[in-house]
Amino acid sequence: MSNIKIKSKNLDVFYGDKQALFDVNLDLNEKEVTALIGPSGCGKSTFIRCINRMNDVIDICKVTGNIEMDGMDINDKNLDVVALREKVGMVFQKPNPFPKSIYDNISYGPKIHGKGETKSELDEIVENSLRKSALWEEVKDRLDEPGTSLSGGQQQRLCIARAISVNPEVILMDEPCSALDPIATAKIEELIDELKKTYTIVIVTHSMAQAVRVSQKTGFFHLGKLIEVGKTEKVFKNPDNKMTQDYITGRFG
Amino acid sequence: MNFVLLFLITIFSLSLFFYGRSKTKSISIEKNIRLNALPKFYGYYLVLWCSIPALVFLLVWSLFEPVIIKSIIIETAANQGAIFSDKNEANLIYEKIKAIHLGTYFGDIDSILKESALAYAKFINLFTNSKVVLIFGIIIASVIYSLKKIKNNNKARDDVEVILKGLLFVSSLIAILTTLGIIFSLLFESIKFFSVINVFDYLFGTNWSPQRAFVRDASSITAAEFEELKDAFGFIPLIAGTSFIAFIAMLVAVPIGLFSGIYMAEYASIKVRRISKPIIEILAGIPTVVYGFFAALTVGPFFRQVGENLGLTVSSESALAAGLIMGIMIIPYVSSLSDDVINSVPQSLRDGSYAVGATKSETIKQVVIPAALPGIIGSVLLAVSRAIGETMIVVMAAGLAANLTINPLESTTTITTQIVMILVGDQEFDSPKTQSAFALGLTLFIATLILNYIAQRAVKKYREKYD
Repeated sequence: MSNIKIKSKNLDVFYGDKQALFDVNLDLNEKEVTALIGPSGCGKSTFIRCINRMNDVIDICKVTGNIEMDGMDINDKNLDVVALREKVGMVFQKPNPFPKSIYDNISYGPKIHGKGETKSELDEIVENSLRKSALWEEVKDRLDEPGTSLSGGQQQRLCIARAISVNPEVILMDEPCSALDPIATAKIEELIDELKKTYTIVIVTHSMAQAVRVSQKTGFFHLGKLIEVGKTEKVFKNPDNKMTQDYITGRFG
Repeated sequence: MNFVLLFLITIFSLSLFFYGRSKTKSISIEKNIRLNALPKFYGYYLVLWCSIPALVFLLVWSLFEPVIIKSIIIETAANQGAIFSDKNEANLIYEKIKAIHLGTYFGDIDSILKESALAYAKFINLFTNSKVVLIFGIIIASVIYSLKKIKNNNKARDDVEVILKGLLFVSSLIAILTTLGIIFSLLFESIKFFSVINVFDYLFGTNWSPQRAFVRDASSITAAEFEELKDAFGFIPLIAGTSFIAFIAMLVAVPIGLFSGIYMAEYASIKVRRISKPIIEILAGIPTVVYGFFAALTVGPFFRQVGENLGLTVSSESALAAGLIMGIMIIPYVSSLSDDVINSVPQSLRDGSYAVGATKSETIKQVVIPAALPGIIGSVLLAVSRAIGETMIVVMAAGLAANLTINPLESTTTITTQIVMILVGDQEFDSPKTQSAFALGLTLFIATLILNYIAQRAVKKYREKYD
């Protein structure tokens, strides 16, 4: 059994008057891929946005309960959000490269955190990040072209490279393949397999097949509640809960 | 008379709307057929048929009636022995006849004029009567035609669509033709000006003193006079003054406008934004003449006072005062547009930046602003063309002397100010002085046109990026 990296206890999230998450208790194991599945609007994305405090951006959002990373309280008012987000990277549903060059897209994070003081250090970070996200070979000759000129799948791998450029411990992926075609999706999945050796990964997905392919642990959310969580194999082959069974067999969702 | 006719046409059309609507309804019930369009379309159809031909006729008639009557009357007056040598005298006689007819002429009335006035009265009567008869004839004919169509259950919807399309087309045509007309009038007057003054003397001359050409007929200019005029119309001091004041205005408007735009878009809560944005936009609604006396009566003297205390000579009409106030006037253009542009930068870019641990100000500085830059440049360029074209403030606060200076404390002048100065008061329309106003207008027009074009290109480029 691997170590628990992130632990949430009695986590509730409210958007104004509306409660989006109810009493979520979920442990994420270190250097493992955890998949979160469930119908749209069930709170999967809300949950992962709690881990890097992205919900702070939304004025009306209120988070109560406990969520810890390596025993450190993420919800602590005095926590340095910048330091937290340095440790917890995120990849979004739609590729969102900055309107800058490929190089600047990657070097943005390290520069902000004061890493890579010299040009050669930065070059190294950029190359490593691009290599890790399996994009280096495709873009090494055109690093000064705009990031938006890449194809959708390449853009998403660029965003993954951007996330790992600051050397995080956890990577959150919010439906990273929903805007991509099957070939690009396959590449990203391959990449996730590779990345889990170094990083703890949480992936939100609507594709059951993807969850089975990439994850070791799966959590099923429904209407803001964590219905079932367990080893991926178990959840998909022999779920405890009838609702989980219905969802993964496509009877609702 | 025309108003009565317009009123009657309106009344007829409206009543026909209701008539057409109910009539077609009853037809459909009586004959138990499905109409080709909704009943209200038949109403519209009748309205359009009743009003448009009559209105067009009325318009055309009103345009030509005075011209035709005038030529007839002048001819009858000539037949009766009135003597006039040219067009102006003929016009004078015609005006006299008209005045006699209206009973507002108090000079001597000879027999020729009297006869002509009677003839005028006769023609006016004849024309008015025939106008009324013809209009009613047209209305009756078009109504009969359209009613017949309606009874045959025509495709009123399609016809209405075609007519409406035509109306919209005519409206835009009027707008376009007006623009062209203005451009051509500028162009022709400028050509007259440039036939006297060399284009290069105008564009590169450094001395602007058009009063030297006052009351000098362009067609009968002598060689000596021409030599004297040659360097009176130098454009450089004006464009320098204009750019200088616009530059000062931009120094004020761009930072304040941009920062307030960033605050509105990124930091202000919805509540603050909802209240403060309209308040800033009120600045754009203040009449420029109000800014003008604020600049001339409050800010100018204030600078002068401050300057005196510091031991500087400050003219009470200074480029600084005018530029400052103009900058304040332009703030809402920059802030409002850049606020919109910043707002339309997708949230996903900000999220991407926050997710690697950037703070809000880092995100704004390094991601949001660069992404919004083309749009911001566009808004600034629009503001510049606004500043260049602004008139009232500079007329009141910047001064009239065409000094070629870069001292903001001295008075200077702009293109628009000079156009105002040239065209205010008595003037000879043939003199190069007056015509130079058109040349200035044309230059200004071309300058702002180019700026607007660049601005729109920049804004468009920005739009394509995220749509």
